[in-house]
Amino acid sequence: MGVTKEQVKSSLTSKLNPAHLEVIDTSGGCGASFAIEIVSEQFEGKRLLERHRLVNSSLEEEMKEIHALSIKKALTPEQWKQQQESQVSKPAA
Amino acid sequence: MATIIHLSAIHTSSPSIRLFSSHSPQNTPNPSFNLPTKAPTFRSISLKPYIASKPRASVITSAVQSLSETELVTVPEEVEIAGKLPAETGVYAVFDQNGELQFVGLSRNIAASVLSHRKSLPELCYSVKVGVVDEPDRAVLTEAWKSWMEEHIKATGKVPPGNESGNATWVRKPPPRKKKSDLRLTPGPNVQLTVPLEELIDRLVKENKVVAFIKGSRSAPLCGFSQKVVGILENQGVDYESIDVLDEEYNRGLRETLKKYSNWPTFPQIFVNGELLGGCDILSSMQEKGELASFFKK
Repeated sequence: MGVTKEQVKSSLTSKLNPAHLEVIDTSGGCGASFAIEIVSEQFEGKRLLERHRLVNSSLEEEMKEIHALSIKKALTPEQWKQQQESQVSKPAA
Repeated sequence: MATIIHLSAIHTSSPSIRLFSSHSPQNTPNPSFNLPTKAPTFRSISLKPYIASKPRASVITSAVQSLSETELVTVPEEVEIAGKLPAETGVYAVFDQNGELQFVGLSRNIAASVLSHRKSLPELCYSVKVGVVDEPDRAVLTEAWKSWMEEHIKATGKVPPGNESGNATWVRKPPPRKKKSDLRLTPGPNVQLTVPLEELIDRLVKENKVVAFIKGSRSAPLCGFSQKVVGILENQGVDYESIDVLDEEYNRGLRETLKKYSNWPTFPQIFVNGELLGGCDILSSMQEKGELASFFKK
């Protein structure tokens, strides 16, 4: 059996203390594929690459079992707020 | 419905993904457009003899505004093109500095096509008219193209020079990157390497501006993420090298070594100027934000 959504969530929560976290199991149940949206203060001042590295390293153990991890969003709380606001007026985004 | 672009109204600094949505409300977002899997399929169609009396289906002519009603837009600078022309399916008409229509084309990615024309024919690409086709159905698209061609021929009695049969100026020259083959890390399976793999990888990414480590070949990527990456790079007209991490014959050991080298756990991996740019997610986010065109120009 692979990794559960809860495992991914708890690892990310404990390591990155996210202000917003969404983990979607895209594997259809086998636990090998996830899509993530994460908002954390730890991303502040970091490039996208570094943010993804943070997420990947937080999931080091889980990654051995996960086949595909798609990081949809890795934002700072501020960026998240902006995006939320712009989404209200622009549903197309 | 044709999209009219108001250059002044577009804020390129805005992080909004759908730059055009507010200007073309009738242009409903098409989710498939975010996943370009093909290279900009730009086709130059040689014009069949025009028969003036031939009736056209009136339903389809409404796919785009008429050519004369569409606003003329100066072709933006290369770095800005991504934000100012729609990267969507439709027809476009290119005019030279004297306002002479040079070429009418259709494309799955108008911005990319115009950009490539501008690169190869800067003297003939001064301004452009763009008509986005909402239903990217091949037939609708072709009809839209025809309607513009016929309108122009009716008005001037001439076929745009670039569309004349035999004129190959506007047709993409046999693109070298299409024929480009995937790079190989080693000369073969039975060759004793004199340098460690890390060093070969290091050289490879430093000697080539853009390198994509993908699963499968560039012409037939074997995983969805690799396919997406190849699609994005092709769409942006990036001159890149690809290398198949699944090729056990020529690239044995590459997967594990590369993961360590780049400290990145997954594939594909895209390197630019010797540095890891990221994987599929990063490339896609950059594309959505319109950051890629300027990035690869450097």
